[in-house]
Amino acid sequence: MSKFNRTILWIFFLLVAGVQLFPLVWLINFSLVDANEFFSDKVLVWPEVLKWQNYINAWIDGNFVRYLFNTVLVSTVTIILTVGISLSMAYAFTRMTWKWNKFFFVIILLGIMIPIHATLLPNFTIFRSIGLTDSYWGLILPYTAVSVPFSTFILTGFMRSIPRAVEESAVMDGASIYRIVFQIILPLTKPAIVTVIVTTFLNVWNEFIMAYTFISDDSLKTLPFSVMNFAGQYSSDYGSQFAVMVLTSIPAIIIYVIFNEQITKGVTAGSVKG
Amino acid sequence: MINHYSEGVSQLHKVYRDKLAIFIFVFPGIAFFLLMFVAPIILSGYYSFTNTLAPGTPVDMVGLNNYKELLVDSRFWLALRNALILGIGFIVIQHPLAIFFAILLDKMGGKAEKWFRTIFFIPCVLSFVVISRMWLSVLDPTFGIFNKMLDSIGLGSLQHAWLGDQSTALGSLLVILIWAGFGWALLFYYAGVKGIPEELYEAARIEGATGFKLHFNITLPLLSPVISVQVVLAMITALKQMETVFLTTNGGPGDSTQFLAVYLYNQAFSASNYGYANAISIMFIVVCLIITYVLNKLTKNKNLDF
Repeated sequence: MSKFNRTILWIFFLLVAGVQLFPLVWLINFSLVDANEFFSDKVLVWPEVLKWQNYINAWIDGNFVRYLFNTVLVSTVTIILTVGISLSMAYAFTRMTWKWNKFFFVIILLGIMIPIHATLLPNFTIFRSIGLTDSYWGLILPYTAVSVPFSTFILTGFMRSIPRAVEESAVMDGASIYRIVFQIILPLTKPAIVTVIVTTFLNVWNEFIMAYTFISDDSLKTLPFSVMNFAGQYSSDYGSQFAVMVLTSIPAIIIYVIFNEQITKGVTAGSVKG
Repeated sequence: MINHYSEGVSQLHKVYRDKLAIFIFVFPGIAFFLLMFVAPIILSGYYSFTNTLAPGTPVDMVGLNNYKELLVDSRFWLALRNALILGIGFIVIQHPLAIFFAILLDKMGGKAEKWFRTIFFIPCVLSFVVISRMWLSVLDPTFGIFNKMLDSIGLGSLQHAWLGDQSTALGSLLVILIWAGFGWALLFYYAGVKGIPEELYEAARIEGATGFKLHFNITLPLLSPVISVQVVLAMITALKQMETVFLTTNGGPGDSTQFLAVYLYNQAFSASNYGYANAISIMFIVVCLIITYVLNKLTKNKNLDF
């Protein structure tokens, strides 16, 4: 590429980067201004004084720690279940010989196509009658169900690209099938596993509608849902609401930035094969 | 050595047929699928034949009435049409842009490539709640920056309640959704571009292909498996659209931004038409499966073939 083209590319990319980063800048900006400044006619507001009080309000009065704990707990359990289930299923689909292999693979992939929102109403009825509404499991179970099909899709794609030689020598050494999957295959599929973990994490971390439908007990609410909470409770105090949104976004961004390289690798092997 | 090797292969094949292990590996996933997808759908099917007002209220069977009503329900068809327009928007606008950006990113190289790749994805990391609130504020008729910007560049006459006016609400929402999902499309296409071996480009360059032609002849054909999967997923994503719509326009004004998931949600929990909402759910699933099937046939998809 010529130097001229390169400069154009840089300018273009910087402009786009500005657009993509705007939500973040906007969010942080408004989390630090006084509520009175919200209805100014400026794009971004230069705060006279940085209102860290918004964060203190969010953290203490807003019960932020409680919502954070709920979100972390629900995400962690969902991720563990999703990885365990998808990894073992993907192995059975790509390596093992059994009669209904193709059939069940298609069924699981159908899970990507079936809109989870269509199961929202009946699940609400079922959960209510067996006492799963207003419980952590009421979120963990549907979240895992949504995550497994896509994760299995990513993992089967990746596993097909792993040569079998390693498994052959492991079998010669007398390793059991379970050891092969969880001690040998698991590390080899690391980029795909990381992709699965991060996509599941982002989905669960930011999920709104199921939490909104299945949870009403304040002590069980997750972060995105709690933002709505702030809209009601502190209707005049937008600052705290923005502080919560910033605090919710930070972990997601950090996780993404750390694993971004691995995700690209995981998706590459899973998606690029004819 | 050769003996040793084939012994490993035959032992492995024995392990691969371990029925108990297969059961242990597959059962939890299938059980999850049955309990969280199949059972609710069956229950939904049952409720779709009733005129139940809300979950837990008396159940009256009304046969196919809900479905008959649904077939002539203009809001249902409007919701479906909006989803199809969004899907086409994804495929015609978002995806070509994503492919274009993926190729440019690949050219960038080095640290800059990594940084831009990360930044371009940021909106996808943020919650729908954040994205929705931001756009509501950007497009706010009184305080929003967008109208202010129009004014400052002399296009003040175009100022508008973008999400509040029937004629512009859907268009504005489509822009929001296409923007918000851009990072995911980019990620998959970028991964695809990265998977293309450099030698192929070298070979084409020797034959004299450059720039646009190079990518048209090499990149696009080699990306075709990715593209065909992504086209199907884009349509499904469009059909499944819910949160952003729910949190910005909630289907309004009028029904101009109605989407299936939002419609069924409001029918169930606001309009107290729980039975009818379940009929919408069932039709929703049927539509998703039909469209997936048709698109798979059209794109000759091998990866997601049913």
